[in-house]
Amino acid sequence: MTEFDQLFRKYHRRLLLFTLKFVDSESDALDIVQNVFVAIWENGKFRQSEDAVQAYLFNSVKNCCLNYIKHQKVIRKFENETSLQLREMEALHYQSGEKSLIETENLQQINSAIDSLPEIYKEVIVLSRFEGLKNSEIAEKLNLPVRTIETRVFRALAALKEKISQKSFFMLLCMSRLKR
Amino acid sequence: MNTNENIEGLISRYLNGKCSAEEQNELIAWIEESPSNSKEYFEIKDTWDSLQNSREAAGEQLALFYKNQYAKANETKRIWVRSLSAIAAVLLVGLLATVLLPSKSGENKSANLQVFSVPLGSRSKVVLADGSIVNLNSGSELQFSSSFSPENRIVNLSGEAFFNVKTDKEHPFTVKTKDFDVKVTGTKFNVCSYNDNNYSTATLAEGIISLKMNKNSEIVKVEPGNKFQVDRKSDEHTLVEADVESEIAWKDDEFIFRNIPFPELAKRLERWYDVRLNYQDTRLQNYNFTGKFKNQETIWQVLDALKLISPIDYTKKSFREFTITYKPLSMK
Repeated sequence: MTEFDQLFRKYHRRLLLFTLKFVDSESDALDIVQNVFVAIWENGKFRQSEDAVQAYLFNSVKNCCLNYIKHQKVIRKFENETSLQLREMEALHYQSGEKSLIETENLQQINSAIDSLPEIYKEVIVLSRFEGLKNSEIAEKLNLPVRTIETRVFRALAALKEKISQKSFFMLLCMSRLKR
Repeated sequence: MNTNENIEGLISRYLNGKCSAEEQNELIAWIEESPSNSKEYFEIKDTWDSLQNSREAAGEQLALFYKNQYAKANETKRIWVRSLSAIAAVLLVGLLATVLLPSKSGENKSANLQVFSVPLGSRSKVVLADGSIVNLNSGSELQFSSSFSPENRIVNLSGEAFFNVKTDKEHPFTVKTKDFDVKVTGTKFNVCSYNDNNYSTATLAEGIISLKMNKNSEIVKVEPGNKFQVDRKSDEHTLVEADVESEIAWKDDEFIFRNIPFPELAKRLERWYDVRLNYQDTRLQNYNFTGKFKNQETIWQVLDALKLISPIDYTKKSFREFTITYKPLSMK
């Protein structure tokens, strides 16, 4: 496998997931990611250090997504655009230097974090994310009120967020100690 | 106050795509209320997004990437060749009388090879210059010289492919493989000739094909519904009636297998899903498997199904690698 192939295989899924944050249509998302790879192929950037390439890939995708949202706003002028507004806010949020988990974490690690959740949280996450059930369907299946499921989904995500960020939090602690 | 709970429900509903327009406005208002609110929301959504269980498409997308790059490169080459050939035509007028035709065919032979290769885990389709359609299965490679034309129809195959050959009685279509050449005028047939298998097959759906063995030039005719199989170890070949439909179902993204031994199944799963399946237990080899997966199931779903119906168990070893073990079915 060539260097480029390895890069493609390593980052394609993460970039696609990242794009899908802002772009509804999977085929449009695939196009965006494909174009970004064409760009690094043609400008030879894929030969740079991996850190630089990773930053370049995610930045390009971010910019393409912002353009995409702007274009969508024009097309869907008269439709309800609150969801577009939310997406744009989200893309700008990452533009301001924030890093997405998809960008920074190994996806495998995120998945293993689910396993360490308390059973009642793990259950709703698995049902809603991996089996694609709606909150109302989960409620029916578990024989619980929909509101309870909604709360559990939220709390599960909040707990997961803590678990994943603990690592970076710890690093932060170490750094502040060094400074002193 | 139960606003906290309200927001939790609101975010959860939004993530599940169950928010009304009104609720969406409510959510935006809350997010814009303070930087801590917006940070909270984006982090929750980010966690949710990173759990996304999307289809792995890298292999197929990489093939598409190369296909597009190849098309682009060819376009520029064609323009270049055209202008060059105009100059060449002028220069060669004087020489043409002395240049003989055979040298032209020699030139063609050295012309570069066109290669379509399909990575493991994906499938692809190629339309040839004569209008014939070739479906390529995972891990296959189709080669033909750039002199391929409706009059000169020869291709090389390693791996598995389904050919729908445009009828032309004057100009036969030839598929060359490691073990045999298939010669046809216009038919539909499937050839399976992976280098790492210990057999090679050709199955005919329509029309008629004749096979020429590479070893001894023996010629075999195959009729519709029949499958020709060469055993690479014993060098023996057989002609059996085949279930053509399930033999070629792979081209419509269906994964069907009938009464095949475990090692064969493992090999096919490895190619289909681009995974490695490791197994040591020889007891596994005694089991034959039949099954149909039609809805592009994930490797996990397939392994789970096999676990239910047969004495196997699996553990994930690393990304794309599983260990299969023997585990007798319990009578629960």
